[in-house]
Amino acid sequence: MTLYIQLLLNTLQIGSVYMLFALGLTLIFGVMKVVNFAHGTFFTAAALAIATVMPPAMYQLGLPVWAAYLIAFVAALAVVAAIGIVVYQFGFQKFLRDLIGSFILSIGLVLFLNGSYLAIFGGAPQKVPPLIDVNLSIFGAYITGQRLLLVLVAVGVTVGLYWLIQKTKLGLSLRAVAEDQEAAMLQGIQYRRVALYGFLIGTVLAAIAGAMMAPVHAITTVIGDEFLIKAFIIIIVGGLGSVGGAIIGAFLIAFIESVGGYYFDNSTATIAMFVLVMVVLLLRPQGIMGHAER
Amino acid sequence: MSLKRIAAVTATAAALALSSLSGASAQETLKLGISAPMSGAAASWGLGFEWAAQQAADKINAEGGIKVGGKSYNLEILTYDNKYNATEGAKVAQTLLNRDNVNYIVGSLGTAPVRALQALSERKGVLLFTTAWGKSVKGPEFPLTFTQINTPFEVLPQLYGYIKQQHPDAKSVVLISPNDATGQDTEKPAVATWKSLGVEVLSSDWYERGTTEFQPIATKIASLNPDIVDFSAAPPTDAGAILKELSVLGWKGIKSVSAGTSSSALVKTAGDSAEGVYMGLAADYDGPSATPIQRELNEGARKALGEPLNVITIGTWDAIMALKAAAETADSLDPKVIAETLPKIVFESSYGPTAFGGADTYGNPQQMLLPTIVTQVQGGKVVEVKRVNPPELDKRLKN
Repeated sequence: MTLYIQLLLNTLQIGSVYMLFALGLTLIFGVMKVVNFAHGTFFTAAALAIATVMPPAMYQLGLPVWAAYLIAFVAALAVVAAIGIVVYQFGFQKFLRDLIGSFILSIGLVLFLNGSYLAIFGGAPQKVPPLIDVNLSIFGAYITGQRLLLVLVAVGVTVGLYWLIQKTKLGLSLRAVAEDQEAAMLQGIQYRRVALYGFLIGTVLAAIAGAMMAPVHAITTVIGDEFLIKAFIIIIVGGLGSVGGAIIGAFLIAFIESVGGYYFDNSTATIAMFVLVMVVLLLRPQGIMGHAER
Repeated sequence: MSLKRIAAVTATAAALALSSLSGASAQETLKLGISAPMSGAAASWGLGFEWAAQQAADKINAEGGIKVGGKSYNLEILTYDNKYNATEGAKVAQTLLNRDNVNYIVGSLGTAPVRALQALSERKGVLLFTTAWGKSVKGPEFPLTFTQINTPFEVLPQLYGYIKQQHPDAKSVVLISPNDATGQDTEKPAVATWKSLGVEVLSSDWYERGTTEFQPIATKIASLNPDIVDFSAAPPTDAGAILKELSVLGWKGIKSVSAGTSSSALVKTAGDSAEGVYMGLAADYDGPSATPIQRELNEGARKALGEPLNVITIGTWDAIMALKAAAETADSLDPKVIAETLPKIVFESSYGPTAFGGADTYGNPQQMLLPTIVTQVQGGKVVEVKRVNPPELDKRLKN
């Protein structure tokens, strides 16, 4: 029984990070119809910002861990939002609903941003202290306090995003644009402005994921790229552009990784994920929650 | 233009040409290539690799360069990031050998990228020094390849033997290896060595480099409850992440990282759970067994890189010293002549006088004969607990 609870806890903690990461990616695709390969670099930027701001705030200003992290978190979101605005205004804005153009642009951005991170921060992994340095036991299974916080934040952010999309005027515009851009424009929705907001929400979601992962993971200049492949698997399985699909896909992939990794090994679990993608593409190309192109 | 003016211009041009020619002969440069991970989990190895190479080049340049055929050659280091994978390794190989026309690779790291590099270097007649662990990169079919650090056949019997000696009650082990050429080349001799020591291998699992979530791996290891966990060829950052998860799950046992090189990366990621880890590629270059040059380099590395040198990173220094000694002995810059000379000479490495050998194991004398050093993380620092000199080197030095 304890083992099953542990596997469930593993699934929850892994799925939470994947969900945060994949939500931004799928939202950007839904609104802009672009596949953003540079999404991982936003995640990386946030983690690097935490690693840059937190240690001096703690050791030079003498702030407690939580205060240093809070300042670093705000800085990380600001940095990523600024990068997002620049990238959108000078890049993606010119390639809205252009899969090939945006693909080339985002690959170029990955090379440029990863190269810049390496030049600025160096290649050595960095580490910041956890906010909550305790282990919790739940019916004999274990989870760190930091990981539990991450799960709670991920759930909170997802609920907030759901509320924004379902209950606000901006959410209605985002859904309308995702459903049918031309019809939405005919109704008076300013597509470019909505696309900018959608892109910024997506990048901020990546930033939150990166900032939350910073205290639990060694921070490198390519950390976001390592999550990107999983996020693509998730949104293909869940359905490109579907928020619900990203949530289901994230926990499905986390379940395979957790249970497959336990009963077989990590490499076999990775192969199983790619097999799942092939099966989904063969049987339901639009993904579990995606809509077929009419 | 008057005749006088033409004569003046011609004389000036001739003087310039002559001065540039004489300058070339005094300051010719040999390009030395490095293919190593400069980003990602194994970046600390690549950064140290480059730094140690630059120190060796600076020292040789300051002493007048490599002297061959009555000329002096300064050294220039060219480093490219192979990202520890075959694809990038192949790109780096093309860049170094076809664009930069490098004739000597003084450091290459990671079996998969090294195989990609070796496929081209042997064909183009380029001398290749490597840290690649695989037996597959050595042998008579690769006459230009030389290993610059100890590999599993030198490290594992000493490391595992020492662990078994210290923990005679340890009966079982779980291995976890990266699923690539380096991991595969390490896992086979690792399993064989543990079995030869009477330790039961409960499981030998693989993980992909770039894995971000290690809880499933740790859960499986903890449920098997082995006496020993062997992280094989896992880089310190990955091993540290798994150790941290294992400590969350309450597993306490003997920990070994065969390719473990430094305590700092382990301690950064694993915290207190890095305590007691045995490592096969770390060295205490501040300790009593260290040579003066190792102490000096270690101090410099700590200032420049924020962490001390280890067995891997100091490998480029030793390779450059071997290259210099062989080129000057043979009085030739031809990589093939240098490769023929290397097994015949004794040269001054950072460890002291050493040579190349290992023909009995690899079929060709292309293994640098270095002491095997077993270390342990104690109080967050690397402490040398055992050192064994290769018997073949002792024999060579006596003769």
